[in-house]
Amino acid sequence: MRGFVVRRLLLLVPILLGVATLTFLLMYVVPGDPVRAIAGERYDEETIARMRSELGLDRPLIVQYVDFLAHLARFDLGVSYVTKRPVAEAIRERFPRTLALAASAMVFAIVCGVAIGALSAWGRHPLLARAFMTASLVGVSMPVFWLGLLLIYLFAIKLQLLPPSGYGGGSLRHLILPAFTLSFASMATIARVTRSGFIDALGEDYVRTARAKGLSERFVLGKHVLRNALIPVVTIVGTDFGSYLSGSVLTESVFGWPGLGRFIVQAILKRDFPVIQGAVLFMAVLFVLVNLVIDLSYGAIDPRIRAREGER
Amino acid sequence: MHGMMRAAGIVLAPLVGAILLAGCSAEERDETLRLALQTEPTTLDPAFAVDFSSGRAASLIHSNLVAFDPDARIVPDLAREWEVRDSGREYVFRLGRDAFSNGRRVAAPDVVYSFRRLLDPATVSPRWWLLQGLRGAAAFHGGGAWDEESVDALDDSTVAIRLDRPVPHFLGLLAMPAAGIVCREEVMRLGPAYGRSPCGSGPWKLSAWSESDEISLVPNPGYRGTRTALEGLSFRIIPEQMTQIAEFEVGGLDVLEVPRAELEYWRAAGVSLLWKEELRVVYIGLNTRKSPFDDARVRRAINRAVDVEKIIAHVLFGAGKRSCGTVPPSLRSSPPPPDLYPYDPAGAKALLAEAGLPNGFSMEIWQRENPEAGRVLESVQGYLARVGITVKLVTREWGAFKEAIDQGRPDAFYIDWLADYPDAENFLAPLFHSSNIGGSGNRTGYRSAAVDSLLDAASTCLDAAARAELYRTAESIVYADAPWIFLWFPERYEVVSPQLTGYRIPLIFNGQRFLDVSL
Repeated sequence: MRGFVVRRLLLLVPILLGVATLTFLLMYVVPGDPVRAIAGERYDEETIARMRSELGLDRPLIVQYVDFLAHLARFDLGVSYVTKRPVAEAIRERFPRTLALAASAMVFAIVCGVAIGALSAWGRHPLLARAFMTASLVGVSMPVFWLGLLLIYLFAIKLQLLPPSGYGGGSLRHLILPAFTLSFASMATIARVTRSGFIDALGEDYVRTARAKGLSERFVLGKHVLRNALIPVVTIVGTDFGSYLSGSVLTESVFGWPGLGRFIVQAILKRDFPVIQGAVLFMAVLFVLVNLVIDLSYGAIDPRIRAREGER
Repeated sequence: MHGMMRAAGIVLAPLVGAILLAGCSAEERDETLRLALQTEPTTLDPAFAVDFSSGRAASLIHSNLVAFDPDARIVPDLAREWEVRDSGREYVFRLGRDAFSNGRRVAAPDVVYSFRRLLDPATVSPRWWLLQGLRGAAAFHGGGAWDEESVDALDDSTVAIRLDRPVPHFLGLLAMPAAGIVCREEVMRLGPAYGRSPCGSGPWKLSAWSESDEISLVPNPGYRGTRTALEGLSFRIIPEQMTQIAEFEVGGLDVLEVPRAELEYWRAAGVSLLWKEELRVVYIGLNTRKSPFDDARVRRAINRAVDVEKIIAHVLFGAGKRSCGTVPPSLRSSPPPPDLYPYDPAGAKALLAEAGLPNGFSMEIWQRENPEAGRVLESVQGYLARVGITVKLVTREWGAFKEAIDQGRPDAFYIDWLADYPDAENFLAPLFHSSNIGGSGNRTGYRSAAVDSLLDAASTCLDAAARAELYRTAESIVYADAPWIFLWFPERYEVVSPQLTGYRIPLIFNGQRFLDVSL
């Protein structure tokens, strides 16, 4: 177990090197000029050249690359071309907001998704099943942007229960609508997967055995069915949560939520190389870590996986 | 149906639970004016504040020697009075008793420091050009010595500025954000971080900046001008216009810029709609260095082929005035040139045939990413197709777009020009003088010896009437030469909350400092 974790953590080094190199090269392949993007509308070419040299962009590519890696080795993500602010500082300010949004969206998605999926599978009511299939199809295919605006219209303008946008210094009221919006697609997927997992598990031999032993239906469902149905859900949660952590541009834009997603998109539009590189690397690390946690949690849910891990 | 309700119930239950948990009491309203910004300022350091949001915010925090009022007239700021001497080559300013937000009084050496900093090649400010008229400034910026007499602290509260030659619009330049006076010790202490913790002597000081979220300003106690009745200003950064509208509807914003597509709704809503012409011109630049756009007949034909009035009515929802010429109406002292390009596709075809292109040609029009630009250019594309010109639209992000047009690569490009200072010069010299070809503003590569000499003469002419006449003549030549598809001067519409009084849309972007506004 410990060996597994160490191996996976060591794997971070080549992954990060690969990600760093790829983003670095990508910056120089796509058209765009960070200097002109920050120079305003009226400038002379001499100033452009001076700005370029101040940012070190006039050096040969290989020198810039080595310099970038050298800074990276010292955990220095550099300074934004646009705001002159250290990239690490900006990420530190935004990440907790992204984390809050991602975590609460995940809670909404899991609680509602599993409940809907389980109920619709257990009841096997044809009407309920159809209603649920339709609802989850809508959930998967509804554009986040549109859903967000609908929720703003309903809860902020008509019912006046929640603020339409903003971070509100971290208040819970400001978090609810964006979190719910962000959770919607995951919720629908989780519901569908839970439902099919449930139906499959209900037909398994061990469930029949458990029922034959005279265990209560509640115990059978909770202990045997739910646990087995949850394995694929954990995978979905893992990948979705990983991507939420890197920021959710549309949700953040609709709700004016100051997270990582908008930060990265702004940086891409302005060709703010240090920010793009820093943020992408940060996301890569997060993604690897989240996946590691997910892999470990399989063992916690399914004893068979734990046993196999133990044999190795 | 029952099942559907049940599923909806399961989905909504946690949402409702969360709302109950969070409580739904609205916050108490204070005397803070709440405004929205679509894009976040990149810096509040005047030397680097080149975009609209940054310039506007930096101007609230820093004072200049002079400032703009909402009608873009020059009014005293740090300088309570001034004198112009030596036929416009020397300005002497007498400062008031304002203090920086750190409490220290502003003195003449601060003006010297701030101007020298802007010009210093080591600062690398893209806005150094606004002080290039100062004596020896160009040489200093090129690496030469600083001319101590160019900005001269005569005593603690008097500063003299000497120019190489008269610059008639010099006071307008001094009111630009980049000419803001900064606090020397804070700039030295903070270095590049000054842009996030500015220290100026303007009416407001920065109290908090939550990135991508909100910028809060409170009154600067050291400011000696009009005292504001407000407790503070809050700039909410809300990128989506629909979300801004929602915030305004629930009272989260006091001022809302109405998107053009929403004008009809607000006109019908019965609220008072504020309106102002912008000091901005929107155009499609034609690359006069490339064939066939090097032929004025072709450029005139293109202008005649596009029904600009119709695009204004249908794409802009009427929020603009067709431009015959390049200088916005509020900056002119004489009527605009007569309309040379009424919509006339037959005439356009005849002109094209005369230029040897009876079967038309194909061209590219470049644009930056912007939904409105897309709708406008699709209309233009349709009109030009009718006279045999096939248009391909090319979209690039801002940096790549500017790189291409600075280097003169695209056939044509859709862009706008926003006034830095309210002067006809700002809509002619940068855009059409041959010395400004490229990033300085003349991106069509337009060259006319007659226009150059008229603009040169006007640039030092102190007789206002004669100067206006020189610009009028230059503009007529440009208009006839048609280096642009002349489009429109846009208009800005805003709605304000009912309790807001004294607010006006400024003519120039940094002309509203919210001092006469109350809630």
